Amino acid sequence: MKIAACIKYSLDVSEVKVDASTKQIRLAGVPKKLGNIDRNVLETAATLKETYGGTVHLFTFGPPEAKNILKEALGVNADDATLILEPSGEALDPGATVAVLAAALKKLGSFDVIVCGEASDDGFTYQVGPRLAETLGMPQITYARKITIENGSILAERDWGEGAELVKAPLPVLLTVTEETNTPRRPTLMDLVKAKKKPLVEWQLEKDLGISPQTLQDASGLQLLATEGIVVERKQILLKDKPTADLASELVDLLVQENLLEG
Amino acid sequence: MSNLHRGILVFSEARETCLELLGKAHEVAARLGMPVTVALLGERVAAEAVDLGTWGADQVYTVENPRLERFDAHPYTDALTGLIDQVKPKLILFGATKRGFELAPRVAARLGAACVSACVDFDIAPGTHEIEARAMIYTGLGIAKYRVKKSIAVLIVPPKVFVKRALNDRKAEIVPYKPKLGEPKLEILEVRPQMAAGTRLEDARVVVDVGQGFRQKEDLAIAQELADLLGGQVSCTRPISSERGWLPEWLGLSGRKVSPRLCITLGVAGAIQHMVGIRGSEVIVAVDNSPDSAMLVQADYGIIDDLYKFVPALMQVLKTRQLRAA
Repeated sequence: MKIAACIKYSLDVSEVKVDASTKQIRLAGVPKKLGNIDRNVLETAATLKETYGGTVHLFTFGPPEAKNILKEALGVNADDATLILEPSGEALDPGATVAVLAAALKKLGSFDVIVCGEASDDGFTYQVGPRLAETLGMPQITYARKITIENGSILAERDWGEGAELVKAPLPVLLTVTEETNTPRRPTLMDLVKAKKKPLVEWQLEKDLGISPQTLQDASGLQLLATEGIVVERKQILLKDKPTADLASELVDLLVQENLLEG
Repeated sequence: MSNLHRGILVFSEARETCLELLGKAHEVAARLGMPVTVALLGERVAAEAVDLGTWGADQVYTVENPRLERFDAHPYTDALTGLIDQVKPKLILFGATKRGFELAPRVAARLGAACVSACVDFDIAPGTHEIEARAMIYTGLGIAKYRVKKSIAVLIVPPKVFVKRALNDRKAEIVPYKPKLGEPKLEILEVRPQMAAGTRLEDARVVVDVGQGFRQKEDLAIAQELADLLGGQVSCTRPISSERGWLPEWLGLSGRKVSPRLCITLGVAGAIQHMVGIRGSEVIVAVDNSPDSAMLVQADYGIIDDLYKFVPALMQVLKTRQLRAA
């Protein structure tokens, strides 16, 4: 069985700050890393391989530095990785990402299972999985968990929040997984050493996939005009270093003043 | 193609969200003399169409087919793209529900349309009919403004962003429509319902919001007791619900969003993904024993203390002084 796992070199959103006076979103110096949800993607792919046999192939569309996360990701029992280099300075939307991933996946033949996160850690658009499935003409099982394969069909629970459904689809299929799908393993030192010897190739958009800058721009449906941080003004009054009973009465006094409590 | 496409098409399987989208769609379209169409898909949907004119629809297209009884993105995409081909809208609005997030990108991909997630506002310029959309980015830290480069756009709008508005004596034209539908690709073998939450968190005036500072499920009793005392409800962060399974639903980017008068967080870490769910609160009180908690600086009143000691003390003061939520 041939399994593809699409992962993202994501901004660490917890490090993004908004300047309260200018409302500017400060991205300078914000680290990028393997997304949290991508660990669930890797775990899903590795578990399928270990249970049913096959190979796991990783795909990332990102800058050259994304190589580092692919090296780490290869440690989660993957076989090889492909980094498609993102042209710098271009504002791209999920449409462009999907066009690139679809071309890369097609170039490596057909896959039985493609695994994506329900959304990326930083973009959170929820678009890539379903758009990729549609572009490749594949069925999708979104928010999948408890995934098993029987006689050429995949069975999974699809989590709707208010309930779940047990669904069955014929292979090939695209799965999107969530943080709740599984508990990701941490690659051991040995896994990481072995991962260094696994193939990690870099592809250029135009040379290797025949995607021109114009094609990429056309695949992107949106032009970013401006961004602004959301600033929620809070009083930020701290109550501390007093006996608990005093802190409690102090808070109650403040809430009475705010007209939130009444006698 | 762009000149042929006009008007706004609305689809959400969640009726309240559908009405909210209609409210905004009517406001934008009426100004431009464009029609608003609602798509209703299912095995039997005609009854739901009756009053949609009141909520801003000019036309309701009903697609009734046994293949649409259960949600499968494949026949649903067929139905919507077939209908879009007929109605030729410029904008298609989806509710940002789990089903909406599964369906809208597929529809956008098939149409070659632009697609905006977490859309919080949009407009169509008079004359040029250019579309501008605003959307939440970086999991809710900011807002981006986009110009749509395609002739059609799909916008995915979270619940509660727009307001439903009843208009007097309006009736929509109801058009039964039968687009060609492919076979469902998924076989639904079993439906497993989850325990449902009692009342709607969105209606609570006081929310006691619990996080991973709680050590075990039984301890939530003190949060519940505080909520009861204040006539409020208990909510939680994603890990409390999804990993520990202590409560049926969570607040945040991927969960529900509330705007109570008072929100008291207990042992909540304050990640932006969660803050998106509670930042509409009028006043936020945060209780955490760590002075470094990110939650404390995102609150009006931050209490650095052990929640296990503080909550009983707070309840004691409320009882002694016979105070309740105003």
